[in-house]
Amino acid sequence: MCDLFALSASKNYTAAASLPLFAVRGRANVHGWGIGFFRNNLPVVEKSGEKVFTDGRLHSSFQRLARVVDSPTIVAHIRYKSSGLVDECHAHPFTLDFWGQSWIFAHNGKAPAIEPYLSRRHPVLEAKSDSARALEFLRDFFMETEPRRASTPFILVLKEALRSLLREYPGEYNFLLTNGRVLWAFTNHRQFLLLKGSKKLEEAMLLTTIDEGLSAEDWKKIVAKPGSAGKLLLIAGGDLLHLQDLDAAPLP
Amino acid sequence: MCELFAMSAGHHYTAHEYLPPFADRARENISGWGIGFFRNGQVHIEKSCEGIFTGDMMHDSFSRLARVIDSRIILSHIRCPKSGHQKESHAQPINDWFLDHNWLFIFKGESPKLLAYQSHRPIMREELLAARVFEFVRDEMESGLANRPRQSLYQVMALGCKKLITNYPGRYTFFMANETVLFAFFNTDQVLTYQDPTAVGELLLVTTVSGGLTDDQDNWSAFSQKDPARGQVLIISGADLLYQGHL
Repeated sequence: MCDLFALSASKNYTAAASLPLFAVRGRANVHGWGIGFFRNNLPVVEKSGEKVFTDGRLHSSFQRLARVVDSPTIVAHIRYKSSGLVDECHAHPFTLDFWGQSWIFAHNGKAPAIEPYLSRRHPVLEAKSDSARALEFLRDFFMETEPRRASTPFILVLKEALRSLLREYPGEYNFLLTNGRVLWAFTNHRQFLLLKGSKKLEEAMLLTTIDEGLSAEDWKKIVAKPGSAGKLLLIAGGDLLHLQDLDAAPLP
Repeated sequence: MCELFAMSAGHHYTAHEYLPPFADRARENISGWGIGFFRNGQVHIEKSCEGIFTGDMMHDSFSRLARVIDSRIILSHIRCPKSGHQKESHAQPINDWFLDHNWLFIFKGESPKLLAYQSHRPIMREELLAARVFEFVRDEMESGLANRPRQSLYQVMALGCKKLITNYPGRYTFFMANETVLFAFFNTDQVLTYQDPTAVGELLLVTTVSGGLTDDQDNWSAFSQKDPARGQVLIISGADLLYQGHL
């Protein structure tokens, strides 16, 4: 199972302490890694199809990037493939533009139903995986609702998109989606662990899917309520702004 | 009645196209004005107890500041004569540091009983309703998160606002922002948002000025609240309205 990491703060941060721990604790994921962040509102992604941890050592590029990447929002992914090849193109995060801005997306889960999805929009992602198709599905949904943008809260469109995704392409979805200012997190099959004000790692808001968190501190575990279609989190500036359960998808 | 203005953008922006029409449409308020913004995480506030207009002339400093200030979030307040004494310390925005952020706050409304509210950490000693509202909301958010650390910022703010309008019935509209997020709360009248159709995704305006600030009315969205025993919270970041919550 892949694992996800995010850092959110109101100012630039490096994740020099927490990213290496994330890689060490997620080392069972052996099919690649990636780090994404924003510079001047543009997404920057560094990724690899190589193992993040080999022979007791962290991948040297991952380690160096962890020390150097400096941003209010950092997303990382360590891959254990459930779909697609093992190469750099299939590593996460992915990026696409919609709703007037660029987005970084990282996913874990298994959703074979969406693999045949054919986007009607361009560009399409090169990767042939459920994760790439899931991001295209979200992009397409948002582009179709663009005329409502001025008067419709983002969360309403995102919830509609998620209900539609889960109804048409059922599967396990657990993803991070960020435009560099706000971070949306959704899960319908795993947990997120949150920590803010760490004494051992960065003080910023940290998020991971790693079961035990990244330190021996009081990580908040967030899971979807039984019977709901999933849990949606909104994080910005180092704060958990909002969280809510997604209602089960109504019948079409 | 005072009027409120906020601009939220994806990157640093000046509000030179929007602050002058805001001043113009709120010119009947003669008791002061203020502009607040963020630079490198720090709050900057420029304010005055002088009228925003003298005859047909916009206040010189206001018009210059409108051209010069650039920030991701800009708040402005134009003050009516009913809001206490005409002195600079009573002009808004006001600000405070809590929950790990610098916050800017602007308010319009009426709530006579709330003037008696005594915070354990007053922002100012003077009798100013905006300060009492800010203190009340801040105190509720701080205690809410201390008692229920698993709650979100929205949840503790919504609970605080619900308690505010229950314990101190009145008319409240306020905008409260840190360097990343803008919250707008209102339990009366309406708040309007605007996206420039030629710059979609660049910025979002929020104001209490009836009819909005531009002539292209179709691009303004009105969020109305009729029952003052309830209220709404809008959450905005960058050029996006992220969430609309009903109390």
